[in-house]
Amino acid sequence: MSKPKVAFFDFACCEGCQLQVANLGEMVLDLIDIVDIVEFREVMSEKWDGEFDVSFIEGSITDEHAVERVKKIREKSKILVALGSCATIGGVNGMKNSFNLEEAGRYVYGEAYKFFPTIHTKAVHQVVRVDYFINGCPIYQPEFLTVLKCILKGLPYYVPEYPVCVECKLNENVCMYDRGLTCMGPVTKAGCNSWCINNGNICYGCRGLTINPNSQGFKDVLKKFGIPEDFLMKKIEMYNKCKELDES
Amino acid sequence: MKIEQYRLIEKSRIKEFLNKLISIYNVVAPVEKGFNNFAFEQIRTADEVRLNYIPTILPPKKYFLPKKETILEFELGDELKVEPVTEYENLVLFGVHTCDIAGIKCLNMVLSDRPKDTAYLIRKKHITIIGIECNNYCDDYASCSFVGAHIPTTGYDLMFTELSEHFIVHVHSSKGMEIVEKTEMFKGADQNTIEELKILRNNKLKVFNNEIPTERRYIPDLFDRSFNATVWQELESKCLSCGNCTAVCPTCYCFDIKEDVELSLKRGERYRVWFSCQLDPFAKVAGGIDFRRERSARQRHRFYRKFRYHIDRYGMIFCTGCGRCSRTCMAGINLKEVLTSLIRESEAKIWRKWL
Ligand code: SF4
Ligand code: SF4
Ligand code: SF4
Ligand code: SF4
Ligand code: SF4
Repeated sequence: MSKPKVAFFDFACCEGCQLQVANLGEMVLDLIDIVDIVEFREVMSEKWDGEFDVSFIEGSITDEHAVERVKKIREKSKILVALGSCATIGGVNGMKNSFNLEEAGRYVYGEAYKFFPTIHTKAVHQVVRVDYFINGCPIYQPEFLTVLKCILKGLPYYVPEYPVCVECKLNENVCMYDRGLTCMGPVTKAGCNSWCINNGNICYGCRGLTINPNSQGFKDVLKKFGIPEDFLMKKIEMYNKCKELDES
Repeated sequence: MKIEQYRLIEKSRIKEFLNKLISIYNVVAPVEKGFNNFAFEQIRTADEVRLNYIPTILPPKKYFLPKKETILEFELGDELKVEPVTEYENLVLFGVHTCDIAGIKCLNMVLSDRPKDTAYLIRKKHITIIGIECNNYCDDYASCSFVGAHIPTTGYDLMFTELSEHFIVHVHSSKGMEIVEKTEMFKGADQNTIEELKILRNNKLKVFNNEIPTERRYIPDLFDRSFNATVWQELESKCLSCGNCTAVCPTCYCFDIKEDVELSLKRGERYRVWFSCQLDPFAKVAGGIDFRRERSARQRHRFYRKFRYHIDRYGMIFCTGCGRCSRTCMAGINLKEVLTSLIRESEAKIWRKWL
């Protein structure tokens, strides 16, 4: 049996997620034992114009060219995976959606903005069908490998529907709320093994909100800790602004 | 109190004792994690140990029922090879509070019921428990006296109680006796110290008050009347379903079973990992139907699971009063307050019936 052909494509992003894959270290060797990487700009310059068994899409969709390009990739891919927050939930690029597009364009490109037509930022699944989601900014390497193994075995991968606190408690971290800090853990999807908190940082909510978050309850908690509501909304929107497109 | 079951060790020699213990056994004890948080961890020197500590982030349950536990290993080839696995380690747990010992007794009850949890029972045999008695409350979250877990009764190998000059040590098993003999640091108790212990226990009756405004024996009735209490609706809006209260509870034992394969895709393991009724996917079944979608229903389940269901099945309250659930809840849901609201609401109903 020939090895599945795997490709990585980047859209609007910082390529940090591809870097996480490239940085798998020795594991990369195990990886190329089981898959055939045919396109991966971060580490190689070869290109492939045939079909793909698995395509990883990194980045969000922010202009019409990107829409066309991702649709073409979808047509040529048996399985399509959204890689990282930009791709799975729109991520930080979604902040653009809080502004008028023209205003945003002018802010970035000055008067030349007309030469750079833009659209509202979209997560990949808001443009084409996505088969697997790997959340995180950047992705968490062990989860990437878990998802990849599921793909190769033909199994579904369920992004945990419970919050980061679950993993954080198993890691027996001192809760950020006990340190007098706030943390997005209670309303953010798990799967990263509470990576940030294990390393002394708060959870920024990069994996997106849980399926059924108690947003009002969360606001009440933050109020109790003296956090103004608009500050909180900014925190939530830093990664989650594109969620509104799902809801509308 | 049989004097021959008691031993003494000078308080000034406790570090020496711990270091000796470490030289013979794998010792786990409470260590400080900062911000008034503590955790049971394997220790290398007595200096790491905190004798005065409030209940640890996770209870010592994590050694009996590991957070993540491999239960079988498999090899995928032309033929499937499967090997069941039991993980265990010889451990001495030092400094366990009586509430946490009560928690382990709850686990023993459930996991030796049919179908027996063999791995748990094997692990339990390899663990020695050295308790330390609380002469005062750890903090205001505790309700150990309400459930009767504030005084040592059973469930330990050795129990240390701090007196003026000594720790008086109750030797409660042959494993405990072995430690006394191997460390060679104990002398027999005398009548004076036994008297001191009696006075201390009497005094504890004054220090430890019933923290909940009812008696333990009224709990089943209270819960039978409280299924539709308004408290649950209040929890609906407050609770974030973060699962912290169940993750830290010494009497929770729910788990999920998962599998993982190596990158070669040839070998793998099946493991179980702690899970919780507070989490969204817990009561979800095929077709996406969720039997307990409302947070109020999940919280209610947690309380009934601690204070009602197990009374019918095991004759025990499954709350040790350790206060961890309340301490960890960033939404401020407090077990003592919830119970008190239930009592108030139920009293009001009873009065209305009579008037
Ligand atoms: S998800 Fe984060 S790390 Fe990954 S590409 Fe986007 S901005 Fe970079
Ligand atoms: S530190 Fe954050 S993720 Fe961890 S338990 Fe506290 S709120 Fe949850
Ligand atoms: S709950 Fe009671 S037994 Fe447990 S640590 Fe606090 S005072 Fe001690
Ligand atoms: S710790 Fe508090 S907020 Fe979290 S699930 Fe338990 S009761 Fe709800
Ligand atoms: S319900 Fe709360 S107080 Fe009772 S044993 Fe569990 S964590 Fe401790």
